[in-house]
Amino acid sequence: MADALTQLGFASWLSVLIASIIKVTLILVGGSVGMMFLTWYERRSISYMQDRRGPNRVGPQGLLQPISEAIKTMTKEDATPRDADKIVHFLAPVVMLGATVLSFAVIPWGRMFPVDLNAAVLFVIATGGLHSIGMMMAGWGSNNKFALLGGMRGVAQLISYEIPQVMAIIPVVLMTGSMSLQKIVEAQNDFAGLGWYVFSPVGLLGFALFFTASLAEGERTPFDIPEADSEIIAGYMTEYSGMKFAVFYLSNYMSNLAVCFITATLYLGGGNGPGVDALGGIAGGLLSLIYFLLKSFALFFVMVLIRATVPRLRVDQLMSFAWKFLLPLVLVNILSASFWVALLRWDQQWPKLTEWFGAPSTADATNWGRLAIAIVLTLLINAGAVALIMRLTNRNVQKHLYTTDEELALGLS
Amino acid sequence: MTLSHLATEDVFVVERNDADFRAGQGMTKGLGIVFRKFRKALFGKPNSDRADTEGQFNVQYPEERLAMPEAYRNMPILLYDDATGHELCTSCFQCERICPPQVIHITQAKDPATGKPVPAAAKFVLEYDTCMSCGYCAEVCPFDAIKMDHDFELSTANHPELDVDYNRLLRPVSYYETIAPTMWSDVKEQAMKKLQNNIKRRPGDIGRDHGQKIKGGAPVAAAATPAAGAAPAAAAKPRGPVAAIGKNMPEDKTAKLLAIRAANAAKRGGGAADAAPVAQAAPVVEAVADAPAAVSAAPTGPVAAIGQNMSEDKRAKLEAIRAAKRAERGE
Ligand code: SF4
Ligand code: SF4
Repeated sequence: MADALTQLGFASWLSVLIASIIKVTLILVGGSVGMMFLTWYERRSISYMQDRRGPNRVGPQGLLQPISEAIKTMTKEDATPRDADKIVHFLAPVVMLGATVLSFAVIPWGRMFPVDLNAAVLFVIATGGLHSIGMMMAGWGSNNKFALLGGMRGVAQLISYEIPQVMAIIPVVLMTGSMSLQKIVEAQNDFAGLGWYVFSPVGLLGFALFFTASLAEGERTPFDIPEADSEIIAGYMTEYSGMKFAVFYLSNYMSNLAVCFITATLYLGGGNGPGVDALGGIAGGLLSLIYFLLKSFALFFVMVLIRATVPRLRVDQLMSFAWKFLLPLVLVNILSASFWVALLRWDQQWPKLTEWFGAPSTADATNWGRLAIAIVLTLLINAGAVALIMRLTNRNVQKHLYTTDEELALGLS
Repeated sequence: MTLSHLATEDVFVVERNDADFRAGQGMTKGLGIVFRKFRKALFGKPNSDRADTEGQFNVQYPEERLAMPEAYRNMPILLYDDATGHELCTSCFQCERICPPQVIHITQAKDPATGKPVPAAAKFVLEYDTCMSCGYCAEVCPFDAIKMDHDFELSTANHPELDVDYNRLLRPVSYYETIAPTMWSDVKEQAMKKLQNNIKRRPGDIGRDHGQKIKGGAPVAAAATPAAGAAPAAAAKPRGPVAAIGKNMPEDKTAKLLAIRAANAAKRGGGAADAAPVAQAAPVVEAVADAPAAVSAAPTGPVAAIGQNMSEDKRAKLEAIRAAKRAERGE
């Protein structure tokens, strides 16, 4: 965009500035409009899951409901507790929203990339981690026990789930050989745009793990422990009202949106799909945007479905789920991803394979023989690991749920 | 609890721990159920049967409404007869007495000529804001004059508006018949019979002089009687205790007393004579309802009133009777 402006006769620094301002505006508007749509979408779909209809009065099908609510929150009184740490209390929502908006800088909209960072994946993770600072600030600055409890829980949860989340991305990075989101999307463009990572055993497991960990990152049910309403009112948001509360709300939904976008980009091929390359140009770009949004909102629907189904976990269950279930599977998945990459890419390590099946291609995965071997091998590893860990978890659960007669007789437990 | 009314596919049994290998079946099954509910609510038929567990349950309220059950009760209303315009209420005060939050306030109508109470209410005020819709008033009313309405859209920004007076309480019997046909047909005959009896005892337009009634040609309240306007003036001269006296006096004395009163009234002449006895029903009411208590609580009141209209000897006799009564009670 900056180049086009320079050609129009602007000074180079000015064209860069203008281009940046336009991009920032687009991101901010896109993010908040997306977030508004998301609130409507969630409320409507969860309503139907509960045999209700949800907001359907303001505007067509209630689509303008978020706007009326925005006006409502803006006109509400903004109260700060007397004993709160005023500055921290004020800055907490800003930090939260800032962290979320930052991650939108690298998220592609279909095939449109606002910024193509070569370490975009890392950037997304890092900005996601900033959330915990905002949470802790809100919890501490409010000078309220529930807020503090919520903030502590939030940080504890984020720290434990960041690990499986980050490690679940490693297979994708390994398979692509790059941390750039653009490269990751390009790498999933085989098979007429359907070569998404989720269709490989490694990608499938990675997708499930990453999505689960992201639910915890975005404080979605069943991981909404930091704001568990039935226990600690609204967690770290307890002392917030009016516009500040709205900013928290905005940042929560924007981060959910970001999670959906990133999951769609990493595992569901981003804007790739049949027909995008064939159309090309602007039409192709629009089609890719539509594909991308469809994928993201389908993912969000799954989030809503989970929220409508699963009750909140206890804190100890949350922790044991992260450390005893997600983490081992994530490690195994990295292992099988390494096998996958080795089989498909590193021909010098496997000269015999080159002899049998021909030279591997780095650009696409159309070497059927190697592909078959890789799929079978990783499928075996992953399925075996899942079965094993499920069995172990099951044992543990059973042991904790029931006390056997012998144990009772021995006076144990 | 029995689930027999549910079809078998509506009963979801989640096997928890009897399987050795458990790969989140409970979770997937739950997600499946919720998704099915989503699908049925979005695309399926709206739920029509209460035993049904799926489908859209909502009624889109302002556009769609559920039929009210007949016995639904919201706020009390007063009935009047379509044909004659006569109100069914006889001002018997049963409802005022039973009302738990005491939000009914009735003023009895009186014959302007004689000052005698008439089986009709001059004023009837009900505080809708404090009424708790218990329906006791409708239960207790011996004349089926007060009934519970089905209209619940009464919200207002104007609080005083919720003190509802006679004109706004009145509904024709035909209206009540439409909202509660069987409940009305159960009581219709006796209610109408009682009303006919009462109409005989209502002189002039008393008993049908409220509100803008469509049928029955009842006149508008203000023009028909000066009662409302004269009330404050009359309040200064308490005429009330007539009834209380009547109770304690032999037949002939009462008659004499009334004759004197009528004469006095004639002397004063004109509109004042009409107006005075009409108002001030409230003290009468108290006396009727609880005569001994009222007398003992304020014995001077009635005496003074009597004194104005009675000759010396009559007063002496009355005092004697009273003294005897007091002695009986052991004062
Ligand atoms: S419904 Fe109950 S509270 Fe209301 S006026 Fe009648 S008796 Fe009183
Ligand atoms: S409404 Fe019924 S109970 Fe109440 S005063 Fe009138 S006749 Fe009596």
